[in-house]
Amino acid sequence: MARSTSRDAEALFHSLRSAYVATPSSLKIIDLYVGFAVFTAVIQVVYMAVVGSFPFNSFLSGVLSCVGTAVLAVCLRIQVNKENKEFKDLPPERAFADFVLCNLVLHLVIMNFLG
Amino acid sequence: MAKSLLYITLTISLLPFLAISFSPESPTDRRVLVLLDDFAVKSSHSLFFDSLKSRGFELEFKLVEDPNIGLQRYGQYLYDALVLFCPSVERFGGSINVASIADFVDSGHDLIIAADTNASDLIREISTESGVDFDENAAAMVIDHTGYAVSNTEGDHTLIASDDLIKSDVILGSKNIEAPVLFQGIGHSVNPANSLALQVLAASPSAYSANPLSKLSSPPSLTGSAISLVSVIQARNNARIVVAGSLSMFSNRFFRSGVQKAGSSTKYEKSGNEEFFTELSKWVFHERGHLKAVNVRHHKVGESDEPAMYRINDDSDYSVEIYEWSGTSWEPFVANDVQLQFYMMSPYVLKTLSTDKKGLYSTSFKVPDVYGVFQFKVEYQRLGYTSLSLSKQIPVRPFRHNEYERFLPAAYPYYGASFSMMVGFFIFTVVHLYSK
Repeated sequence: MARSTSRDAEALFHSLRSAYVATPSSLKIIDLYVGFAVFTAVIQVVYMAVVGSFPFNSFLSGVLSCVGTAVLAVCLRIQVNKENKEFKDLPPERAFADFVLCNLVLHLVIMNFLG
Repeated sequence: MAKSLLYITLTISLLPFLAISFSPESPTDRRVLVLLDDFAVKSSHSLFFDSLKSRGFELEFKLVEDPNIGLQRYGQYLYDALVLFCPSVERFGGSINVASIADFVDSGHDLIIAADTNASDLIREISTESGVDFDENAAAMVIDHTGYAVSNTEGDHTLIASDDLIKSDVILGSKNIEAPVLFQGIGHSVNPANSLALQVLAASPSAYSANPLSKLSSPPSLTGSAISLVSVIQARNNARIVVAGSLSMFSNRFFRSGVQKAGSSTKYEKSGNEEFFTELSKWVFHERGHLKAVNVRHHKVGESDEPAMYRINDDSDYSVEIYEWSGTSWEPFVANDVQLQFYMMSPYVLKTLSTDKKGLYSTSFKVPDVYGVFQFKVEYQRLGYTSLSLSKQIPVRPFRHNEYERFLPAAYPYYGASFSMMVGFFIFTVVHLYSK
């Protein structure tokens, strides 16, 4: 078995980056959006660890709004990806409409639970 | 006009009767029925009866076989207390029997039973109903070869000088009874599992119960301090019973006789019997140790009206006034161990009430963070005192939906995150639709 070196890791990152450059920009926007949501969730978890879990319902709704948003965005990304053969019959407009509807429901629930 | 005058006269003429009968407002007994074997007891025990009369009791002496005696008439009890000075009675005249005496006690009336050697089965049965058991050997007497009372003749050591009294100020008064109490009669035992019955005068550890005239062939059934000479029972309805194993204990002869306990050099001019029975009769006839609780109040801190319901985490004030009957008036009861329970299946809050020494007991506490139907409970059971059992039901509700705190500064990051997600969603939608 070949020994892994730092050069192998470098090569791995390099190939990943070059492959990602080829990704359509619409998917890159979705990735950016997911990254933003996850980052906000992590900030809240750190804040809760520092301050304490007192308004626990607020904490839950804050974190879950981020997590929910990220999950829905990932679902959208799966559905609008041209290379994904599973959803080749589903028009991207339909996928986007589902995404919007689910987001509306999510934020309605979050608003009710935020306290 | 004439009618109202009639009513007024009737009321006024009835007032003395209303005032002297037993009532929660003046719990001391007034009318006492004394049943005797023999009218000679009336004079031979006159000191005891006189001390009762001088304290305002109306004694009615009847022979047990009197065909006209009865405890109640037309469903009303004629007496507040019954004294059975008839150890050898085989059956009562009139309508009295064991069941009627048990009913008499069950309805809250008091009883003194004096048995003696050769006590009849009837007296034993009444005592058993009350919770004490006399020695089954009818001829048995309590014998004590070390704790007997010294007399001129050596005798058989059945005249006992006992000083093993219960240590309770409320039963025997605050004044210490110095002289030993003379006893000559049958011993009884109190079931240790019976929490209502207490030994007031116990025999010494060297005593035993046997027939003094016959040789002791088998071990005596009752020995030592387990032998009770005088016991008291306070029923759950606060009826009080005294059981004594000797009728002669109450007699003038014993009241007046000097006493010297064997092995002790101190000779007392007068036995402790008179003091003992005076104090004990004060207790049994509710001149002492009778508590009442009034004005049970609770409210939220800062308010004065009693709420129909509490909310979790409310602050509550609770107060109750407790008085003790002194024989003539209600005096403030002072104790530092009255506790309040805030109770739902088990006490969630247990607090000792503080007193202002004028009878008012109060405390304040925070209603627990649990909702349900609670009770304010005061269960006060102390040796010799009548038991107090107060409970008041109160529901505790959770916060209403609009009673929770809102816009907490600590939660602003979460609000911010939620709203930024919404704004992000909007921006993403626009970018996603119009890119490319």
